[in-house]
Amino acid sequence: MAHAAQVGLQDATSPIMEELITFHDHALMIIFLICSLVLYALFLTLTTKLTNTNISDAQEMETVWTILPAIILVLIALPSLRILYMTDEVNDPSLTIKSIGHQWYWTYEYTDYGGLIFNSYMLPPLFLEPGDLRLLDVDNRVVLPIETPIRMMITSQDVLHSWAVPTLGLKTDAIPGRLNQTTFTATRPGVYYGQCSEICGANHSFMPIVLELIPLKIFEMGPVFTL
Amino acid sequence: MAAPPEPGEPEERKSLKLLGFLDVENTPCARHSILYGSLGSVVAGFGHFLFTSEIRRSCDVGVGGFILVTLGCWFHCRYNYAKQRIQERIAREEIKKKILYEGTHLDPERKHNGSSSN
Repeated sequence: MAHAAQVGLQDATSPIMEELITFHDHALMIIFLICSLVLYALFLTLTTKLTNTNISDAQEMETVWTILPAIILVLIALPSLRILYMTDEVNDPSLTIKSIGHQWYWTYEYTDYGGLIFNSYMLPPLFLEPGDLRLLDVDNRVVLPIETPIRMMITSQDVLHSWAVPTLGLKTDAIPGRLNQTTFTATRPGVYYGQCSEICGANHSFMPIVLELIPLKIFEMGPVFTL
Repeated sequence: MAAPPEPGEPEERKSLKLLGFLDVENTPCARHSILYGSLGSVVAGFGHFLFTSEIRRSCDVGVGGFILVTLGCWFHCRYNYAKQRIQERIAREEIKKKILYEGTHLDPERKHNGSSSN
């Protein structure tokens, strides 16, 4: 989860998120260089003694400041498209979970190996145990195995919601009447948090998502396979 | 950004953010690229000044040198970093396979020794 006043991205828990962080660093470096150039140009403009206001026909400069931004955009677009297509790769998921958004909770269905269906409500502050996270912890977490390709089918029963887990690099809209799909493979165990990311009413901020990622051996012993 | 470190874990380096957003301490290759870029900027700018004695133009060359050298070092370092990460991942998976299959017919070392003796 994010710590207080965190501005940057959370640590990656999936290969896609690692790629996204790499791309973010790359884009940030390009932005830094452009800002440095602009700051320098600003400094020159403010300190010049030149006063000619009728300058025109700077063909060479105009060519440079047309071609250079195009090159910069290509440098940003190529890695971006690579990651975009990577997120759409078909990787034969071993498990499919359905996630249904409601006002204001999530329902999860594990129907591959049985009929486990449960709701996941935010824990109200009065019900928090010591160590629980306010506005983030839920009564029933989504328990999933690590190092296993997982498919999430996301939809909504009423209004628009969005199922997001930043550390996995996931954000998929839950649209009523539509089934959206996202896949991921978690690389390390732990408890990971996300929040609804599409405005959906009064309690939009109070329907978090909590994933509990555990080793596959332990997951296989759990209720999904013993129902 | 990581969660606060557990006891025993190495502490995250204090972040230094250039222009308020580029975290050079915690972004791989950023510090290396900026330092070499600064060096390149000084060399290019000062070198130009020594040859031409033009201050303004030398400053422009310095800034241009900074941008080009930083970008060049950045791409070079990130390419090597990506190669290293791939090699680390392959090594991790091979170690896992070795531990899992040691002594069985799927032992990677047995397959490797078998092919080399053939």
